[in-house]
Amino acid sequence: MRKIKDDIIEKIIFFCGILSIVFVVLIFGFLIKEGISFFKEFGIVDFIIGKFWYPSANPPEFGILSLIVGSVLVTVGACIIAVPVGIMAAVYISELAPKQIKDILKSLVELMAAVPSVVIGFVGMVSLAPLVRVFFNIPTGLTAFTGSIMLAFMAMPTIVTISEDAIRSVPWQYKEGAFALGATKWQTIRRIVLKAAMPGIIAAIMLGIGRVIGETMAVMMITGNAAHIPHSIFEPVRTMTATIAAEMGETVTGGLHYRALFAIALVLFFITFLVNFIADLFLGRSKNK
Amino acid sequence: MKTNLYQNKMLIDDLSCFFSNKCVLENVSLSIIKNEILTIIGPSNSGKTSFLRTLNRMNDFNSDFSRKGNVFLDEENIFHMNMEKLRMRVGMLFAMPIPLPMTVYENVIYAPKRLGVIKHGKKSEMDAIVEQALRDASLWDEVKDRLDSSAMKMSGGQQQRLCIARILAINPEVILFDEPCSGLDPISTAKVEETMIALKKRYTIVLVTNNVKQASRVGDRTAFFLMGRLIEIGGTAKLFVSPKEQKTNDYITGRFG
Ligand SMILES: Nc1ncnc2c1ncn2[C@@H]1O[C@H](COP(=O)(O)OP(=O)(O)OP(=O)(O)O)[C@@H](O)[C@H]1O
Ligand SMILES: [Mg+2]
Repeated sequence: MRKIKDDIIEKIIFFCGILSIVFVVLIFGFLIKEGISFFKEFGIVDFIIGKFWYPSANPPEFGILSLIVGSVLVTVGACIIAVPVGIMAAVYISELAPKQIKDILKSLVELMAAVPSVVIGFVGMVSLAPLVRVFFNIPTGLTAFTGSIMLAFMAMPTIVTISEDAIRSVPWQYKEGAFALGATKWQTIRRIVLKAAMPGIIAAIMLGIGRVIGETMAVMMITGNAAHIPHSIFEPVRTMTATIAAEMGETVTGGLHYRALFAIALVLFFITFLVNFIADLFLGRSKNK
Repeated sequence: MKTNLYQNKMLIDDLSCFFSNKCVLENVSLSIIKNEILTIIGPSNSGKTSFLRTLNRMNDFNSDFSRKGNVFLDEENIFHMNMEKLRMRVGMLFAMPIPLPMTVYENVIYAPKRLGVIKHGKKSEMDAIVEQALRDASLWDEVKDRLDSSAMKMSGGQQQRLCIARILAINPEVILFDEPCSGLDPISTAKVEETMIALKKRYTIVLVTNNVKQASRVGDRTAFFLMGRLIEIGGTAKLFVSPKEQKTNDYITGRFG
């Protein structure tokens, strides 16, 4: 009886595992199909390095360089803000904060993770954007910089919670060993704790970046959506995700514009894959060591 | 009090320790003589670890911990000293060997580098320190060809001796061992014991052990703890042959504990 139950559970788990692979393959297949058919009509090189995105002009232009630059700019900006702040917050919560403050901070961070991105976008639009406009004295507050700040907010809970887990699971004995050698608390955190928790922290950063790259709603609302290559972070930009979301409704199914959006998705997929791959490379290296 | 020929390295004066007001060590007074191996024996929960960890203030991290009485290192009150400086002079080795998650080489050089013993990280200077420390810990011959591999891949006995080397690299004056052989096989144990005996020429050693035989093998003097009290302290040979206290006798003959 128990054997049969075990068998059934094993089958179900196996099935679920296979299912998730099937989904990924299907999505990827679909992207490839539409993307390739687009590239056949409109060259892949022109697509990637083309500077102009005029999908409804005659003839249409499908250059996504400005969108790639927009996405990269906003993402990198968000990381520059979220990674150091997130890691320091995690260190503070797990190593330094007194018990009560720690509990409060943890629930606040969890709360932050639960805020839907539309709300973050909206708050950013009405509160942060005017602030940025006045503070930097620029024509509009809807800029790459504003987007980066809001996205950093969204990535932070992921980075903090997962890094905090990783830091907390560093064996107490490591710290004790370092203390017994005369290390100060700060030296121990920096040289021992952070080092031992590094794989987990890198995973946290990658998941955070993943959330930022894929984010659509908030960036659509606060980055200004101008499809041109910006000269500084204080100009409006448009990201790949926002383009897909904003324009999908206006396209004719199967049309060139429609397939162009799939091609963007393919590029996005490729970039995400690359990020994960690099992360794995790092993790693999630190594990073998 | 310091009337004997020997020089006191540490002096424990009427020390009592508490964990959240529970008394785990009661009015312990004893001295630790320079270049001796003082072994501390006693059944579980008799306060041996608590005692040892007080000597280099490792208990200070525990907010439940409090103490009365004083401990002197070369006549200087350790509770008035800088904690990090104290731990550089009074090193500690734990029951479980805990190499840091780095290579063998980095484990040994970690503390000297951090403490600025070596100025600009001159490679030849670091190599010399690592080799000397590993030799003193009788580990050099076993690891000299794999200094750059992870310390986590070594055997338990090797890891424990690596931990000894790590402490030796900062040249402490006193080394505290808390049941360093409890997880080791007899051969590794013998190696660690040999190492300790070789080390007492240059260091003062306090060894807590659950193994009465081990205490009789390596100890110059032995102290017997029971339920937070120091019952008896004296020359190892004498204590094992003719203890003054009945309780000591019961314990070393295996009648309880
Ligand atoms: N961190 C701590 N918090 C609270 N109580 C503690 C702590 N450490 C030790 N104790 C208590 O102190 C008493 C003495 O423990 P200690 O570890 O010093 O004994 P020991 O002689 O080293 O025993 P063993 O031989 O098992 O290692 C025990 O009753 C234990 O419960
Ligand atoms: Mg103990």
